[in-house]
Amino acid sequence: MSRPRQFMGTITVTTIMTMARMITITVITAMRITGTATTRASAPSRMCMARTVATIIIMTTTILTATLTRLMDAPSLKPESLEPENFAELPLLLWLSPAFPVGSFAYSHGLEWAVEAGDIVDAATLQIWLVDLLNFGAPRSDAVLFACAFRAGRSSDWAALAEINELAVALAGSAERRLETCAQGGAFVSAMRAAWTCAALEHLPASGDPIAYPVAVGTAAAGHGLSLDLSLQAFTLSLFSNFVSAAVRLGAIGQTDGQKTLAGILPDVRRLARETSSAGLDDLGGCAFRSDIAAMRHETQYSRLFRS
Amino acid sequence: MTEPAYPVPPDAQGFARRARGEARADFARVGARTEPARVFETGGLRLRFPRTAAGCEAVLINTGGGMVGGDHANAAIELGAGAQVLFTTQSAEKIYRSDGETSEVDARATLGAGARLEWLPQETILFEGARFRRRLTVDLAADASLLLVEAVIFGRIAMGERSIDASLRDSWRIRRGGRLVFAEELRLDHASAILDRPAVGRGARAIASILIAAPDAQAQLDKIRAVLDDSGQRGDERLDAGASAFNGLTLARLASPSPDRLRAVVVAVMMALRGRAAPRVWS
Repeated sequence: MSRPRQFMGTITVTTIMTMARMITITVITAMRITGTATTRASAPSRMCMARTVATIIIMTTTILTATLTRLMDAPSLKPESLEPENFAELPLLLWLSPAFPVGSFAYSHGLEWAVEAGDIVDAATLQIWLVDLLNFGAPRSDAVLFACAFRAGRSSDWAALAEINELAVALAGSAERRLETCAQGGAFVSAMRAAWTCAALEHLPASGDPIAYPVAVGTAAAGHGLSLDLSLQAFTLSLFSNFVSAAVRLGAIGQTDGQKTLAGILPDVRRLARETSSAGLDDLGGCAFRSDIAAMRHETQYSRLFRS
Repeated sequence: MTEPAYPVPPDAQGFARRARGEARADFARVGARTEPARVFETGGLRLRFPRTAAGCEAVLINTGGGMVGGDHANAAIELGAGAQVLFTTQSAEKIYRSDGETSEVDARATLGAGARLEWLPQETILFEGARFRRRLTVDLAADASLLLVEAVIFGRIAMGERSIDASLRDSWRIRRGGRLVFAEELRLDHASAILDRPAVGRGARAIASILIAAPDAQAQLDKIRAVLDDSGQRGDERLDAGASAFNGLTLARLASPSPDRLRAVVVAVMMALRGRAAPRVWS
């Protein structure tokens, strides 16, 4: 499987380099011709020259655009393996990193209350709580919304994308849940538009209007031609990595137990991504009532580190 | 699994009943009063409008005495400009064991300018083996007001039935001025096994949601919190509850192993919000 793909990749790279060289030569030649023409030739032949130069530029642009479009659509470049030169999902490590400017470190998804209330006291109780969130809580709905937004973005169905975002925002069932998803979603889109822009991102609401975080990331992943399965796994894992980080900072567990917890729930994270990658809006739904109540109770918690 | 003994109303014998009930009513403001303008009933659903001093009350009655798999109930009410209606049900709705098909309820309310709806049906009780699907859609004019209370009880707790396998799917869409302002997607399978999970219910057998969508919704938050904080201190049975205000709404959620305790707190919240006692059917 890997050989032909590598081969295709090599061919494509060679093609791009050849084309780039051709375009450079064409442009230089065209500039020389125009330069000479404007100084020496008579008016009618200047017109003729200009027309030739224009034709050359248009043709080159057309060929370039066609080739690039084909390259972007080429299934051979959409990686299904993790070969170094094929790892298109690499930027996800940046976009989903705690250092990406969305402020994910500020949200605990109600864990701060669950710790306060004694629902989470150690690694074992944390893991049980997280698996509940994964199976029945907002993260599951987020995974479904991510997949729906991804497919809408991939197929350029902007009406569907708007509807998915509206629903995603309306599903946030408390002030802090709404803040958690909209503040991160808005910040993610702003940062992406500034540094990692793609056409799909322009179809999300303008900055200032509510954008749900899973919809923002799903749309960006689709817009950059990444794989749905891989980006959904990465997105889901990043949610839980953030929860565990919050539990560590709350002192509920230590650093090592945090990593053990993440290692323990990784198979569940993969399963969630697998179950939700083909899900539609009708597959939404959860029942993590006490987690939802924890998010509400957190609003009036006496001493707080987190915004949710 | 052994067949549980449960009462089946006489006309629900057998699973081929497939009742289709529908109740629709339009309400109009007439002077200082609100009156039902048009009423349509079919199947086992009836609407009654008891005369009360407090205003226009609509009581929905399911003459079938409950729902079995395949039954479908449809309720739709429309409030004209300025109309004020209290909608409730005569009794708790019982959802009986299903042989595979789902019992479905579609409820819809449309509120015109300045209209006020109190949607306070009594609890829905899921029996062992019930499969229940509900959809609730409310369309509010920009300045209309909604108070909505929905509670679900899992199993006949008073009869010692603490472990039931039932499924519930509940979808809400609340729109104001055509814009979606709140959505709820509840999905719960294998009721008691999942309800025992810590982040789900920690043994809860009754849940309730109280939603206010109104221009003054935010101002109701403190009233609800005061009742919840007060009730949290009393009673032998645990009750988890919280409230939050956002996006022009106030939402409270409650969960308890005890349906009685949940009901008592829901009634207390209703009293605090309405400034008067709960509807007679609730007390």
